[in-house]
Amino acid sequence: MLTLLAVPLTLLSMQQPGAIAQRLAGRVSPNVAALVEQLGTTGSARGLPVDPLIQKAIEGSAKGIPDDRVAAAVRMVATQLDAAAAALREGGLASDTLAVAAGAFAITAGLSANDITALARVGARPQALTVGLRVAGTLAALGVPPAENIALVSVSLRSGKSAADLLLLPADVESEVAKGLTPAAAAAGLSRAAAAQARHGPPPGHGQQRPHPPAPPHHP
Amino acid sequence: MSDHDFHPLVMQLLDGDLTIADLPAELRAQGEEALRLLAAVDRRPVEVPGVVQRVMRALESRPAPRRPRWKRALEPREIRLRIRPWLLAPALAIAAALIVWIWPARLTAPPPLVTVRFVLVAPDAKAVSLAGTFNQWDARATPLVRAGANGVWTVSLTLPAGQHQYAFVVDGQRWVPDPGAPAVDDGFGRRNSVLTL
Repeated sequence: MLTLLAVPLTLLSMQQPGAIAQRLAGRVSPNVAALVEQLGTTGSARGLPVDPLIQKAIEGSAKGIPDDRVAAAVRMVATQLDAAAAALREGGLASDTLAVAAGAFAITAGLSANDITALARVGARPQALTVGLRVAGTLAALGVPPAENIALVSVSLRSGKSAADLLLLPADVESEVAKGLTPAAAAAGLSRAAAAQARHGPPPGHGQQRPHPPAPPHHP
Repeated sequence: MSDHDFHPLVMQLLDGDLTIADLPAELRAQGEEALRLLAAVDRRPVEVPGVVQRVMRALESRPAPRRPRWKRALEPREIRLRIRPWLLAPALAIAAALIVWIWPARLTAPPPLVTVRFVLVAPDAKAVSLAGTFNQWDARATPLVRAGANGVWTVSLTLPAGQHQYAFVVDGQRWVPDPGAPAVDDGFGRRNSVLTL
């Protein structure tokens, strides 16, 4: 029994600390590295992802930000990861690092912990929920208010849209905004259309998955 | 006649290397005599009552030789394992659960790759590059190239599906969000562009 347990426990002991230090070596100051190591190790023990902390530290250093402000930003990311994890647990999703990272991004973009919980309660599989959270964060970054945002992503998750279709929602909103609608009105219109489609099936010619990949994000 | 008086060929006969027919005629009588003596030997085991016990007692009373501790530590030992089948199943289950818990990312398939074209219009720029979560925010890792004379800078990257944050770096100093992409606060008073694939 002990021999069998030794393998995973050895893997566990090999995991985080060395990896964090290795990724930060030469990129951030020793003080920031020590902070990330500490927050990463404690967070990892609670099932939180470490990558967002490392990325924020490297980003701050690359942008020439003073150490104290980088440290503050890293602490903020740690807080958002904690909040996202708690919100997902409240919604019934056990530890899933990708979903937690996506939830933390959604909070950065302007959604609340309650919004994250609402999306988790839709009951989608963790992989679909992760995509939904990323899309919700992107919609928030586009200026879609939380109510319309959560309604649109929730109905899309409930109707079983594919990840590729979910990823097209921001482009769909941008397209409506380009026609003169506000982001809120664009999202509300898309929600109604998705709900009707869920009730009656897709309109003629729209039953198949869209053939093209996610659109590039910008134009010159 | 004593044993020592046997002819060497007769000794080979007693050893079973030769047969009586192999002996020269003048040695056959000696060979037969030797065989007769050999057959008459009493082969019953000799028993000396109590000898085993006396030897064992003598060995037990003798102190064991003292060896250095390090030598004892390096000596090979016999280890006996007793496996109880009813313990094996839960142990395997716990081991598997721990491995899945520790390395979930390594057990899932890698995300698909998507090629994305980044474009920035910066007519006055001398150099433009791209930095983001996909290249460790390295401002020198991904330079854009000028496309024509109208100040359009561009680069195409193949990225894993997921969420990426990035910014353009103009002339090695100015961090500029992508004007065509959604953006979020970067925590340092600026904006990062967001790419969701």
